[in-house]
Amino acid sequence: MRRMSPLQKLVSAVILVIALILFLFPVVWMFLTSFKTEAEYFSYPPVFIPRDFSPRNYLNAMMLPPDGRGGLQGLRDSLIVALSTTIVSMLIGSLAAYSLSRFKTGGENLSFWILSTRMFPPVAAALPLFLIFKELRLLDTHWALIIANTVFNLPFVIWMLKGFFDDLSPEMEEAALIDGCTHWDAFIRVALPLITPGLVATALFSFIFAWNEFMFALLLTRRSVRTLTVIVPSLVGGHEILWGEIAAIGTIAIIPGIVLSVLFQRFLVRGLTMGAVKG
Amino acid sequence: MKHLERQFESLVRTIRKRRTAYFFAAPAIITLLAITIFPLLYEVRLVFMSWELTTSATPEFVGLQNLIKVLFQDSRFWSSMRVTAVLIVLGVSIQLGIGTGLALLLNRMGRWRTPLVSLFLIPVMIAPVVAGFQFRMIYHDQFGPLNYVIELITGGRWRGFAWIADPNVALFAILMTDVWQWTPFLMLIVLAGLQSIPLELHEAAEVDGASPWQSFWRITFPLLLPVIIIGILIRAMDAFKLFDIVYLVTGGGPGNVTETISFYTYLQGFKFFSLGYTAAMAFIQLIIITLIARFFLSFQKRQRGEI
Repeated sequence: MRRMSPLQKLVSAVILVIALILFLFPVVWMFLTSFKTEAEYFSYPPVFIPRDFSPRNYLNAMMLPPDGRGGLQGLRDSLIVALSTTIVSMLIGSLAAYSLSRFKTGGENLSFWILSTRMFPPVAAALPLFLIFKELRLLDTHWALIIANTVFNLPFVIWMLKGFFDDLSPEMEEAALIDGCTHWDAFIRVALPLITPGLVATALFSFIFAWNEFMFALLLTRRSVRTLTVIVPSLVGGHEILWGEIAAIGTIAIIPGIVLSVLFQRFLVRGLTMGAVKG
Repeated sequence: MKHLERQFESLVRTIRKRRTAYFFAAPAIITLLAITIFPLLYEVRLVFMSWELTTSATPEFVGLQNLIKVLFQDSRFWSSMRVTAVLIVLGVSIQLGIGTGLALLLNRMGRWRTPLVSLFLIPVMIAPVVAGFQFRMIYHDQFGPLNYVIELITGGRWRGFAWIADPNVALFAILMTDVWQWTPFLMLIVLAGLQSIPLELHEAAEVDGASPWQSFWRITFPLLLPVIIIGILIRAMDAFKLFDIVYLVTGGGPGNVTETISFYTYLQGFKFFSLGYTAAMAFIQLIIITLIARFFLSFQKRQRGEI
Protein backbone atom coordinates (compact mmCIF):
# COMPACT_ATOMS: atom_id res chain seq x y z
CA MET A 1 0.00 0.00 0.00
CA ARG A 2 1.08 3.53 -0.80
CA ARG A 3 2.58 5.43 2.11
CA MET A 4 0.53 8.38 3.27
CA SER A 5 2.17 11.76 3.56
CA PRO A 6 2.00 13.34 7.04
CA LEU A 7 -0.58 15.79 5.71
CA GLN A 8 -2.81 12.98 4.40
CA LYS A 9 -2.46 11.23 7.72
CA LEU A 10 -3.50 14.33 9.61
CA VAL A 11 -6.49 14.95 7.35
CA SER A 12 -7.78 11.38 7.67
CA ALA A 13 -7.33 11.48 11.44
CA VAL A 14 -9.26 14.73 11.67
CA ILE A 15 -12.10 13.39 9.51
CA LEU A 16 -12.29 10.23 11.61
CA VAL A 17 -12.36 12.16 14.87
CA ILE A 18 -15.16 14.44 13.62
CA ALA A 19 -17.13 11.42 12.41
CA LEU A 20 -16.59 9.71 15.74
CA ILE A 21 -17.86 12.74 17.64
CA LEU A 22 -20.99 12.80 15.47
CA PHE A 23 -21.62 9.08 15.95
CA LEU A 24 -21.07 9.15 19.68
CA PHE A 25 -22.85 12.42 20.38
CA PRO A 26 -26.40 10.97 20.80
CA VAL A 27 -25.10 8.36 23.26
CA VAL A 28 -23.05 10.88 25.23
CA TRP A 29 -25.98 13.29 25.24
CA MET A 30 -28.24 10.62 26.74
CA PHE A 31 -25.58 9.75 29.32
CA LEU A 32 -25.22 13.42 30.34
CA THR A 33 -29.01 13.89 30.41
CA SER A 34 -29.29 11.00 32.83
CA PHE A 35 -27.58 13.24 35.42
CA LYS A 36 -29.41 16.48 34.66
CA THR A 37 -32.17 18.03 36.74
CA GLU A 38 -35.43 19.02 35.08
CA ALA A 39 -34.35 22.66 35.06
CA GLU A 40 -31.19 21.60 33.23
CA TYR A 41 -32.74 19.48 30.46
CA PHE A 42 -35.64 21.87 29.89
CA SER A 43 -33.50 24.93 29.27
CA TYR A 44 -32.37 26.95 26.30
CA PRO A 45 -29.60 27.28 25.34
CA PRO A 46 -29.18 23.60 26.27
CA VAL A 47 -27.00 22.72 29.25
CA PHE A 48 -24.30 20.31 28.09
CA ILE A 49 -22.60 19.29 31.32
CA PRO A 50 -24.84 18.72 34.36
CA ARG A 51 -23.85 20.57 37.54
CA ASP A 52 -23.36 17.40 39.54
CA PHE A 53 -23.30 13.70 38.77
CA SER A 54 -25.68 12.56 41.47
CA PRO A 55 -27.50 9.27 40.75
CA ARG A 56 -30.93 10.67 41.65
CA ASN A 57 -32.43 10.02 38.18
CA TYR A 58 -31.27 6.40 38.35
CA LEU A 59 -32.85 5.93 41.76
CA ASN A 60 -36.08 7.62 40.65
CA ALA A 61 -36.18 5.58 37.43
CA MET A 62 -35.97 2.35 39.38
CA MET A 63 -39.06 3.30 41.37
CA LEU A 64 -41.20 4.72 38.59
CA PRO A 65 -44.87 3.70 38.35
CA PRO A 66 -46.58 1.31 37.74
CA ASP A 67 -46.36 -0.50 41.07
CA GLY A 68 -43.68 2.01 42.04
CA ARG A 69 -40.89 -0.11 40.59
CA GLY A 70 -40.93 0.60 36.83
CA GLY A 71 -37.21 0.46 36.09
CA LEU A 72 -36.57 -2.32 38.52
CA GLN A 73 -39.30 -4.45 36.96
CA GLY A 74 -37.94 -3.65 33.52
CA LEU A 75 -34.47 -4.71 34.52
CA ARG A 76 -35.78 -7.95 36.02
CA ASP A 77 -37.99 -8.79 33.03
CA SER A 78 -35.36 -7.90 30.43
CA LEU A 79 -32.83 -10.08 32.26
CA ILE A 80 -35.23 -13.03 32.60
CA VAL A 81 -36.27 -12.89 28.95
CA ALA A 82 -32.80 -12.32 27.49
CA LEU A 83 -31.09 -14.92 29.67
CA SER A 84 -33.73 -17.62 29.13
CA THR A 85 -33.82 -16.98 25.39
CA THR A 86 -30.04 -17.27 25.26
CA ILE A 87 -29.93 -20.49 27.29
CA VAL A 88 -32.70 -22.19 25.29
CA SER A 89 -31.32 -21.18 21.90
CA MET A 90 -27.75 -22.11 22.85
CA LEU A 91 -28.78 -25.56 24.12
CA ILE A 92 -30.92 -26.47 21.13
CA GLY A 93 -28.85 -24.51 18.64
CA SER A 94 -25.42 -25.90 19.45
CA LEU A 95 -26.66 -29.48 18.93
CA ALA A 96 -28.26 -28.61 15.62
CA ALA A 97 -25.21 -26.65 14.49
CA TYR A 98 -22.95 -29.62 15.27
CA SER A 99 -25.24 -31.94 13.37
CA LEU A 100 -25.44 -29.65 10.32
CA SER A 101 -21.69 -29.11 10.30
CA ARG A 102 -20.43 -32.65 10.92
CA PHE A 103 -23.10 -34.86 9.36
CA LYS A 104 -24.38 -32.41 6.73
CA THR A 105 -27.85 -33.24 8.00
CA GLY A 106 -30.55 -32.40 5.49
CA GLY A 107 -27.95 -31.00 3.10
CA GLU A 108 -27.81 -27.33 2.17
CA ASN A 109 -31.58 -27.06 1.93
CA LEU A 110 -32.16 -27.61 5.64
CA SER A 111 -29.45 -25.10 6.55
CA PHE A 112 -30.89 -22.46 4.29
CA TRP A 113 -34.45 -23.13 5.43
CA ILE A 114 -33.30 -22.54 9.00
CA LEU A 115 -31.60 -19.30 8.00
CA SER A 116 -34.67 -18.11 6.10
CA THR A 117 -36.88 -18.33 9.20
CA ARG A 118 -34.86 -15.46 10.60
CA MET A 119 -35.81 -13.16 7.75
CA PHE A 120 -39.51 -13.39 8.63
CA PRO A 121 -40.83 -9.86 9.34
CA PRO A 122 -41.70 -9.81 13.07
CA VAL A 123 -44.85 -7.80 12.39
CA ALA A 124 -46.11 -10.62 10.15
CA ALA A 125 -45.46 -13.15 12.91
CA ALA A 126 -46.88 -11.00 15.69
CA LEU A 127 -50.57 -11.37 14.89
CA PRO A 128 -50.75 -15.17 14.63
CA LEU A 129 -48.44 -15.51 17.66
CA PHE A 130 -50.72 -13.15 19.57
CA LEU A 131 -53.82 -15.22 18.75
CA ILE A 132 -52.11 -18.54 19.47
CA PHE A 133 -50.62 -17.32 22.76
CA LYS A 134 -54.05 -16.00 23.71
CA GLU A 135 -55.51 -19.48 23.26
CA LEU A 136 -52.67 -20.99 25.28
CA ARG A 137 -53.02 -18.29 27.97
CA LEU A 138 -49.38 -17.30 27.49
CA LEU A 139 -49.97 -13.61 26.78
CA ASP A 140 -48.32 -11.26 29.25
CA THR A 141 -45.96 -13.96 30.53
CA HIS A 142 -42.20 -14.31 30.20
CA TRP A 143 -42.82 -17.44 28.15
CA ALA A 144 -44.47 -15.50 25.34
CA LEU A 145 -41.33 -13.41 24.85
CA ILE A 146 -38.92 -16.29 25.41
CA ILE A 147 -40.67 -18.39 22.76
CA ALA A 148 -41.01 -15.54 20.26
CA ASN A 149 -37.39 -14.44 20.71
CA THR A 150 -36.10 -18.00 20.51
CA VAL A 151 -37.63 -18.40 17.04
CA PHE A 152 -35.62 -15.45 15.82
CA ASN A 153 -32.44 -16.26 17.75
CA LEU A 154 -32.24 -19.97 17.03
CA PRO A 155 -31.43 -19.59 13.31
CA PHE A 156 -28.77 -17.05 14.24
CA VAL A 157 -27.20 -19.32 16.87
CA ILE A 158 -27.25 -22.31 14.53
CA TRP A 159 -25.57 -20.43 11.68
CA MET A 160 -22.95 -18.82 13.87
CA LEU A 161 -21.99 -22.06 15.61
CA LYS A 162 -22.11 -24.03 12.38
CA GLY A 163 -19.50 -21.60 11.06
CA PHE A 164 -17.29 -22.20 14.10
CA PHE A 165 -17.65 -26.00 13.84
CA ASP A 166 -16.91 -25.83 10.11
CA ASP A 167 -13.64 -24.05 10.91
CA LEU A 168 -12.69 -26.73 13.41
CA SER A 169 -10.89 -29.75 11.97
CA PRO A 170 -12.79 -32.96 12.87
CA GLU A 171 -9.57 -34.92 13.56
CA MET A 172 -9.76 -34.55 17.35
CA GLU A 173 -13.31 -35.83 17.47
CA GLU A 174 -12.48 -38.70 15.12
CA ALA A 175 -9.64 -39.72 17.42
CA ALA A 176 -12.03 -39.63 20.36
CA LEU A 177 -14.54 -41.79 18.47
CA ILE A 178 -11.87 -44.38 17.68
CA ASP A 179 -10.99 -44.45 21.39
CA GLY A 180 -14.57 -45.54 22.03
CA CYS A 181 -16.28 -42.25 22.74
CA THR A 182 -19.87 -41.79 21.62
CA HIS A 183 -20.83 -38.92 19.33
CA TRP A 184 -22.35 -37.27 22.38
CA ASP A 185 -19.04 -37.42 24.25
CA ALA A 186 -17.15 -36.17 21.21
CA PHE A 187 -19.53 -33.24 21.03
CA ILE A 188 -19.57 -32.33 24.74
CA ARG A 189 -15.96 -33.11 25.71
CA VAL A 190 -14.04 -32.39 22.52
CA ALA A 191 -15.85 -30.11 20.07
CA LEU A 192 -17.61 -27.68 22.41
CA PRO A 193 -14.56 -26.79 24.55
CA LEU A 194 -12.57 -26.12 21.38
CA ILE A 195 -14.94 -23.40 20.21
CA THR A 196 -15.36 -21.69 23.60
CA PRO A 197 -14.66 -18.14 22.32
CA GLY A 198 -17.20 -18.66 19.55
CA LEU A 199 -19.74 -19.99 22.05
CA VAL A 200 -19.31 -16.98 24.32
CA ALA A 201 -19.59 -14.51 21.44
CA THR A 202 -22.68 -16.22 20.05
CA ALA A 203 -24.34 -16.31 23.46
CA LEU A 204 -23.63 -12.61 23.98
CA PHE A 205 -25.10 -11.74 20.60
CA SER A 206 -28.16 -13.82 21.32
CA PHE A 207 -28.52 -12.09 24.68
CA ILE A 208 -28.33 -8.64 23.09
CA PHE A 209 -30.83 -9.42 20.33
CA ALA A 210 -33.37 -10.50 22.96
CA TRP A 211 -32.42 -7.61 25.25
CA ASN A 212 -32.93 -5.03 22.47
CA GLU A 213 -36.11 -6.60 21.10
CA PHE A 214 -39.12 -4.28 21.15
CA MET A 215 -42.04 -5.30 18.95
CA PHE A 216 -42.87 -8.62 20.63
CA ALA A 217 -42.47 -7.05 24.06
CA LEU A 218 -44.91 -4.33 23.02
CA LEU A 219 -47.52 -6.66 21.54
CA LEU A 220 -47.32 -9.89 23.53
CA THR A 221 -46.97 -8.53 27.07
CA ARG A 222 -48.73 -5.79 28.99
CA ARG A 223 -48.71 -5.44 32.76
CA SER A 224 -47.05 -8.33 34.52
CA VAL A 225 -44.10 -8.36 32.09
CA ARG A 226 -42.54 -5.06 31.01
CA THR A 227 -39.05 -5.12 29.55
CA LEU A 228 -36.81 -2.05 29.51
CA THR A 229 -37.50 -1.52 25.81
CA VAL A 230 -41.26 -1.05 26.42
CA ILE A 231 -40.74 1.12 29.47
CA VAL A 232 -38.76 3.71 27.50
CA PRO A 233 -41.52 4.57 24.95
CA SER A 234 -44.26 4.30 27.58
CA LEU A 235 -42.53 7.11 29.48
CA VAL A 236 -41.83 9.18 26.36
CA GLY A 237 -45.54 9.12 25.57
CA GLY A 238 -46.64 10.25 29.04
CA HIS A 239 -47.96 13.74 29.90
CA GLU A 240 -44.82 14.84 31.67
CA ILE A 241 -41.76 13.73 29.80
CA LEU A 242 -39.20 12.52 32.31
CA TRP A 243 -36.09 12.97 30.15
CA GLY A 244 -33.73 12.38 33.07
CA GLU A 245 -35.32 9.15 34.22
CA ILE A 246 -35.73 7.77 30.68
CA ALA A 247 -32.12 8.66 29.93
CA ALA A 248 -31.08 6.74 33.05
CA ILE A 249 -33.03 3.66 31.90
CA GLY A 250 -31.64 4.07 28.37
CA THR A 251 -28.09 4.27 29.70
CA ILE A 252 -28.56 1.05 31.67
CA ALA A 253 -30.12 -0.58 28.60
CA ILE A 254 -27.12 0.05 26.34
CA ILE A 255 -24.46 -1.36 28.67
CA PRO A 256 -24.56 -4.97 27.34
CA GLY A 257 -24.19 -3.78 23.74
CA ILE A 258 -21.18 -1.63 24.54
CA VAL A 259 -19.53 -4.47 26.45
CA LEU A 260 -19.99 -6.76 23.45
CA SER A 261 -18.62 -4.32 20.91
CA VAL A 262 -15.53 -3.63 23.02
CA LEU A 263 -14.73 -7.16 24.19
CA PHE A 264 -15.65 -9.20 21.14
CA GLN A 265 -14.75 -7.02 18.24
CA ARG A 266 -13.17 -9.84 16.28
CA PHE A 267 -16.50 -11.68 16.15
CA LEU A 268 -18.65 -8.65 15.31
CA VAL A 269 -18.49 -9.00 11.54
CA ARG A 270 -19.48 -12.63 11.72
CA GLY A 271 -22.20 -12.00 14.26
CA LEU A 272 -23.79 -9.10 12.43
CA THR A 273 -23.85 -10.93 9.09
CA MET A 274 -24.72 -14.36 10.50
CA GLY A 275 -21.47 -15.77 9.20
CA ALA A 276 -22.00 -14.47 5.65
CA VAL A 277 -18.82 -12.40 6.03
CA LYS A 278 -15.95 -13.75 8.08
CA GLY A 279 -13.93 -10.92 9.52
CA MET B 1 -19.34 -64.47 4.64
CA LYS B 2 -16.68 -62.24 6.23
CA HIS B 3 -17.25 -59.75 3.41
CA LEU B 4 -21.02 -59.69 3.98
CA GLU B 5 -20.53 -59.23 7.69
CA ARG B 6 -18.29 -56.27 7.15
CA GLN B 7 -20.82 -54.71 4.80
CA PHE B 8 -23.55 -55.23 7.38
CA GLU B 9 -21.43 -53.63 10.05
CA SER B 10 -20.75 -50.57 7.94
CA LEU B 11 -24.47 -50.30 7.18
CA VAL B 12 -25.27 -50.33 10.90
CA ARG B 13 -22.64 -47.70 11.46
CA THR B 14 -24.12 -45.46 8.77
CA ILE B 15 -27.60 -45.82 10.19
CA ARG B 16 -26.33 -45.06 13.64
CA LYS B 17 -24.54 -41.98 12.36
CA ARG B 18 -27.66 -40.79 10.53
CA ARG B 19 -29.68 -41.39 13.65
CA THR B 20 -27.27 -39.36 15.77
CA ALA B 21 -27.32 -36.63 13.15
CA TYR B 22 -31.09 -36.26 13.24
CA PHE B 23 -31.25 -36.82 16.97
CA PHE B 24 -28.94 -33.82 17.41
CA ALA B 25 -30.82 -31.61 14.98
CA ALA B 26 -34.34 -32.65 15.99
CA PRO B 27 -34.98 -30.23 18.89
CA ALA B 28 -34.13 -27.21 16.74
CA ILE B 29 -36.07 -28.43 13.71
CA ILE B 30 -39.12 -29.24 15.80
CA THR B 31 -39.01 -25.89 17.61
CA LEU B 32 -38.66 -23.93 14.40
CA LEU B 33 -41.37 -25.93 12.62
CA ALA B 34 -43.77 -25.55 15.52
CA ILE B 35 -43.30 -21.83 15.88
CA THR B 36 -43.08 -20.89 12.22
CA ILE B 37 -45.35 -23.30 10.37
CA PHE B 38 -48.33 -22.97 12.73
CA PRO B 39 -48.45 -19.20 12.68
CA LEU B 40 -47.91 -19.25 8.93
CA LEU B 41 -50.84 -21.60 8.31
CA TYR B 42 -52.95 -19.62 10.76
CA GLU B 43 -52.10 -16.45 8.90
CA VAL B 44 -52.81 -17.86 5.46
CA ARG B 45 -56.25 -18.92 6.72
CA LEU B 46 -56.86 -15.42 8.10
CA VAL B 47 -56.05 -13.83 4.74
CA PHE B 48 -59.37 -15.14 3.41
CA MET B 49 -61.40 -14.06 6.44
CA SER B 50 -63.01 -10.87 7.53
CA TRP B 51 -62.49 -10.65 11.27
CA GLU B 52 -63.10 -7.27 12.88
CA LEU B 53 -62.54 -7.50 16.61
CA THR B 54 -64.12 -4.08 17.12
CA THR B 55 -67.53 -4.97 15.66
CA SER B 56 -68.31 -8.68 15.47
CA ALA B 57 -66.36 -11.50 17.03
CA THR B 58 -67.20 -14.12 14.41
CA PRO B 59 -64.81 -14.45 11.47
CA GLU B 60 -66.40 -14.67 8.06
CA PHE B 61 -65.03 -16.15 4.83
CA VAL B 62 -64.59 -13.44 2.21
CA GLY B 63 -62.29 -15.04 -0.36
CA LEU B 64 -59.76 -12.74 -1.99
CA GLN B 65 -61.48 -9.56 -0.84
CA ASN B 66 -58.79 -8.62 1.71
CA LEU B 67 -55.96 -8.94 -0.78
CA ILE B 68 -57.85 -7.02 -3.43
CA LYS B 69 -58.68 -4.25 -0.99
CA VAL B 70 -55.05 -3.93 0.14
CA LEU B 71 -53.61 -3.90 -3.36
CA PHE B 72 -56.17 -1.82 -5.24
CA GLN B 73 -58.18 0.28 -2.83
CA ASP B 74 -55.89 1.20 0.03
CA SER B 75 -53.87 4.31 -0.75
CA ARG B 76 -52.46 4.28 2.79
CA PHE B 77 -50.89 0.86 2.10
CA TRP B 78 -49.15 2.22 -0.99
CA SER B 79 -48.08 5.34 0.84
CA SER B 80 -46.47 3.21 3.54
CA MET B 81 -44.78 1.10 0.86
CA ARG B 82 -43.41 4.26 -0.73
CA VAL B 83 -42.08 5.51 2.63
CA THR B 84 -40.43 2.13 3.20
CA ALA B 85 -38.91 2.15 -0.29
CA VAL B 86 -37.51 5.66 0.22
CA LEU B 87 -35.98 4.63 3.53
CA ILE B 88 -34.43 1.50 2.03
CA VAL B 89 -33.02 3.12 -1.12
CA LEU B 90 -31.87 6.45 0.31
CA GLY B 91 -30.94 5.06 3.73
CA VAL B 92 -28.84 2.16 2.48
CA SER B 93 -27.13 4.32 -0.18
CA ILE B 94 -26.12 6.97 2.35
CA GLN B 95 -24.99 4.33 4.83
CA LEU B 96 -22.94 2.58 2.17
CA GLY B 97 -21.38 5.83 0.97
CA ILE B 98 -20.33 7.10 4.39
CA GLY B 99 -19.54 3.59 5.62
CA THR B 100 -17.17 2.93 2.71
CA GLY B 101 -15.47 6.28 3.21
CA LEU B 102 -14.89 5.62 6.89
CA ALA B 103 -13.70 2.08 6.21
CA LEU B 104 -11.12 3.31 3.69
CA LEU B 105 -9.79 5.78 6.25
CA LEU B 106 -9.83 3.27 9.11
CA ASN B 107 -8.04 0.68 7.01
CA ARG B 108 -4.91 2.87 7.12
CA MET B 109 -5.05 3.67 10.81
CA GLY B 110 -2.69 0.92 11.99
CA ARG B 111 -2.88 0.19 15.69
CA TRP B 112 -5.61 2.80 16.25
CA ARG B 113 -8.01 0.82 14.09
CA THR B 114 -9.25 -1.65 16.70
CA PRO B 115 -10.24 0.82 19.44
CA LEU B 116 -11.76 3.19 16.85
CA VAL B 117 -13.90 0.44 15.35
CA SER B 118 -15.17 -0.52 18.81
CA LEU B 119 -16.28 3.06 19.45
CA PHE B 120 -17.85 3.46 16.00
CA LEU B 121 -19.88 0.31 16.52
CA ILE B 122 -21.68 1.43 19.64
CA PRO B 123 -24.74 2.73 17.70
CA VAL B 124 -25.19 -0.69 16.07
CA MET B 125 -25.35 -2.49 19.41
CA ILE B 126 -27.91 -0.14 20.97
CA ALA B 127 -31.62 -1.02 21.09
CA PRO B 128 -33.35 0.90 18.27
CA VAL B 129 -35.89 2.05 20.85
CA VAL B 130 -33.14 3.74 22.87
CA ALA B 131 -31.65 5.22 19.69
CA GLY B 132 -35.10 6.61 18.89
CA PHE B 133 -35.33 8.19 22.33
CA GLN B 134 -31.89 9.79 21.93
CA PHE B 135 -32.98 11.41 18.68
CA ARG B 136 -36.29 12.49 20.21
CA MET B 137 -34.24 14.60 22.59
CA ILE B 138 -31.83 15.81 19.91
CA TYR B 139 -34.66 16.82 17.54
CA HIS B 140 -36.68 18.60 20.26
CA ASP B 141 -37.79 21.93 18.80
CA GLN B 142 -37.39 23.96 22.02
CA PHE B 143 -34.64 22.29 24.02
CA GLY B 144 -32.86 20.08 21.48
CA PRO B 145 -29.12 20.47 20.87
CA LEU B 146 -29.59 20.13 17.09
CA ASN B 147 -31.58 23.35 16.78
CA TYR B 148 -29.09 25.04 19.09
CA VAL B 149 -26.14 24.07 16.89
CA ILE B 150 -27.98 25.18 13.75
CA GLU B 151 -28.76 28.51 15.38
CA LEU B 152 -25.10 28.96 16.32
CA ILE B 153 -23.87 28.13 12.82
CA THR B 154 -26.36 30.33 10.98
CA GLY B 155 -25.94 33.18 13.43
CA GLY B 156 -29.54 32.94 14.67
CA ARG B 157 -31.17 33.14 11.22
CA TRP B 158 -32.40 29.53 11.28
CA ARG B 159 -33.95 28.45 14.52
CA GLY B 160 -36.71 26.42 16.13
CA PHE B 161 -37.07 23.69 13.46
CA ALA B 162 -39.91 21.29 14.23
CA TRP B 163 -37.99 18.23 13.04
CA ILE B 164 -40.63 15.65 13.86
CA ALA B 165 -43.81 17.74 13.58
CA ASP B 166 -43.12 19.27 10.17
CA PRO B 167 -44.39 16.94 7.42
CA ASN B 168 -41.64 18.13 5.07
CA VAL B 169 -38.74 17.04 7.24
CA ALA B 170 -40.16 14.29 9.49
CA LEU B 171 -39.17 11.52 7.08
CA PHE B 172 -35.70 13.03 6.92
CA ALA B 173 -35.53 12.89 10.73
CA ILE B 174 -36.35 9.16 10.62
CA LEU B 175 -33.85 8.62 7.80
CA MET B 176 -31.03 10.32 9.73
CA THR B 177 -31.73 8.22 12.82
CA ASP B 178 -31.51 5.05 10.75
CA VAL B 179 -28.38 6.30 8.99
CA TRP B 180 -26.79 7.09 12.36
CA GLN B 181 -27.52 3.63 13.68
CA TRP B 182 -26.52 1.52 10.68
CA THR B 183 -23.68 3.35 8.89
CA PRO B 184 -21.13 1.73 11.24
CA PHE B 185 -22.49 -1.69 10.26
CA LEU B 186 -21.68 -1.16 6.59
CA MET B 187 -18.38 0.44 7.61
CA LEU B 188 -17.49 -2.73 9.50
CA ILE B 189 -18.41 -5.00 6.59
CA VAL B 190 -16.48 -2.97 4.03
CA LEU B 191 -13.51 -2.87 6.41
CA ALA B 192 -13.60 -6.66 6.74
CA GLY B 193 -13.67 -6.88 2.95
CA LEU B 194 -10.72 -4.48 2.63
CA GLN B 195 -8.63 -6.46 5.05
CA SER B 196 -9.16 -9.69 3.17
CA ILE B 197 -7.56 -8.18 0.02
CA PRO B 198 -3.90 -9.26 -0.16
CA LEU B 199 -1.46 -6.33 -0.02
CA GLU B 200 0.63 -7.81 -2.84
CA LEU B 201 -2.09 -7.01 -5.35
CA HIS B 202 -1.80 -3.30 -4.67
CA GLU B 203 1.98 -3.46 -4.67
CA ALA B 204 1.98 -5.24 -8.01
CA ALA B 205 -0.39 -2.63 -9.44
CA GLU B 206 1.84 0.13 -8.14
CA VAL B 207 4.90 -1.44 -9.75
CA ASP B 208 2.98 -1.61 -13.02
CA GLY B 209 2.33 2.12 -12.73
CA ALA B 210 -1.34 2.16 -11.74
CA SER B 211 -2.64 5.35 -10.18
CA PRO B 212 -4.37 5.12 -6.78
CA TRP B 213 -7.65 5.81 -8.58
CA GLN B 214 -7.11 2.92 -11.03
CA SER B 215 -5.95 0.67 -8.26
CA PHE B 216 -9.18 1.35 -6.34
CA TRP B 217 -11.59 0.76 -9.22
CA ARG B 218 -9.69 -2.15 -10.80
CA ILE B 219 -8.61 -4.07 -7.69
CA THR B 220 -10.27 -2.94 -4.48
CA PHE B 221 -13.77 -2.40 -5.83
CA PRO B 222 -14.26 -5.71 -7.71
CA LEU B 223 -12.91 -7.67 -4.74
CA LEU B 224 -15.12 -5.75 -2.33
CA LEU B 225 -18.27 -6.11 -4.40
CA PRO B 226 -19.48 -9.50 -3.04
CA VAL B 227 -19.09 -8.30 0.55
CA ILE B 228 -20.87 -5.04 -0.26
CA ILE B 229 -23.76 -6.89 -1.88
CA ILE B 230 -24.20 -9.06 1.21
CA GLY B 231 -24.16 -5.94 3.38
CA ILE B 232 -26.72 -4.18 1.19
CA LEU B 233 -29.06 -7.17 1.20
CA ILE B 234 -28.87 -7.58 4.98
CA ARG B 235 -29.58 -3.89 5.44
CA ALA B 236 -32.41 -3.93 2.89
CA MET B 237 -34.11 -6.80 4.71
CA ASP B 238 -33.75 -4.99 8.04
CA ALA B 239 -34.88 -1.62 6.70
CA PHE B 240 -37.94 -3.30 5.21
CA LYS B 241 -38.99 -4.16 8.77
CA LEU B 242 -38.27 -0.70 10.20
CA PHE B 243 -40.63 -0.18 13.13
CA ASP B 244 -38.99 0.68 16.46
CA ILE B 245 -37.49 4.01 15.39
CA VAL B 246 -40.73 5.14 13.74
CA TYR B 247 -42.70 4.18 16.85
CA LEU B 248 -40.38 6.21 19.08
CA VAL B 249 -39.50 9.24 17.00
CA THR B 250 -42.67 10.18 15.08
CA GLY B 251 -45.30 7.51 15.70
CA GLY B 252 -45.86 7.43 11.93
CA GLY B 253 -46.87 11.09 11.87
CA PRO B 254 -47.45 13.85 11.20
CA GLY B 255 -50.48 12.51 9.33
CA ASN B 256 -48.90 9.37 7.98
CA VAL B 257 -45.85 10.75 6.18
CA THR B 258 -43.44 8.53 8.15
CA GLU B 259 -45.61 5.43 8.30
CA THR B 260 -43.61 2.39 7.17
CA ILE B 261 -45.25 -0.83 6.06
CA SER B 262 -44.41 -2.52 9.37
CA PHE B 263 -45.94 0.36 11.28
CA TYR B 264 -49.11 0.42 9.19
CA THR B 265 -49.52 -3.33 9.61
CA TYR B 266 -49.15 -2.89 13.36
CA LEU B 267 -51.86 -0.20 13.36
CA GLN B 268 -54.29 -2.35 11.38
CA GLY B 269 -53.72 -5.36 13.60
CA PHE B 270 -53.31 -3.92 17.05
CA LYS B 271 -55.08 -0.54 16.93
CA PHE B 272 -57.93 -1.09 14.43
CA PHE B 273 -58.13 -4.87 15.06
CA SER B 274 -58.86 -5.83 11.44
CA LEU B 275 -57.33 -9.26 11.68
CA GLY B 276 -58.05 -10.57 8.20
CA TYR B 277 -56.85 -7.36 6.61
CA THR B 278 -53.66 -7.40 8.70
CA ALA B 279 -52.99 -10.98 7.67
CA ALA B 280 -53.34 -10.01 4.02
CA MET B 281 -50.78 -7.23 4.44
CA ALA B 282 -48.45 -9.49 6.40
CA PHE B 283 -48.74 -12.06 3.63
CA ILE B 284 -47.69 -9.53 0.99
CA GLN B 285 -44.67 -8.54 3.10
CA LEU B 286 -43.73 -12.17 3.49
CA ILE B 287 -43.67 -12.59 -0.28
CA ILE B 288 -41.46 -9.51 -0.71
CA ILE B 289 -39.02 -10.48 2.02
CA THR B 290 -38.87 -14.03 0.65
CA LEU B 291 -37.82 -12.63 -2.72
CA ILE B 292 -35.00 -10.55 -1.18
CA ALA B 293 -33.99 -13.45 1.07
CA ARG B 294 -33.84 -15.84 -1.91
CA PHE B 295 -31.53 -13.46 -3.67
CA PHE B 296 -29.38 -13.25 -0.53
CA LEU B 297 -29.26 -17.03 -0.04
CA SER B 298 -28.52 -17.88 -3.65
CA PHE B 299 -25.78 -15.27 -3.66
CA GLN B 300 -24.30 -16.76 -0.53
CA LYS B 301 -24.49 -20.28 -1.98
CA ARG B 302 -22.63 -19.11 -5.05
CA GLN B 303 -19.97 -17.46 -2.89
CA ARG B 304 -19.43 -20.70 -1.02
CA GLY B 305 -19.20 -22.63 -4.26
CA GLU B 306 -16.35 -20.40 -5.37
CA ILE B 307 -14.29 -20.81 -2.21
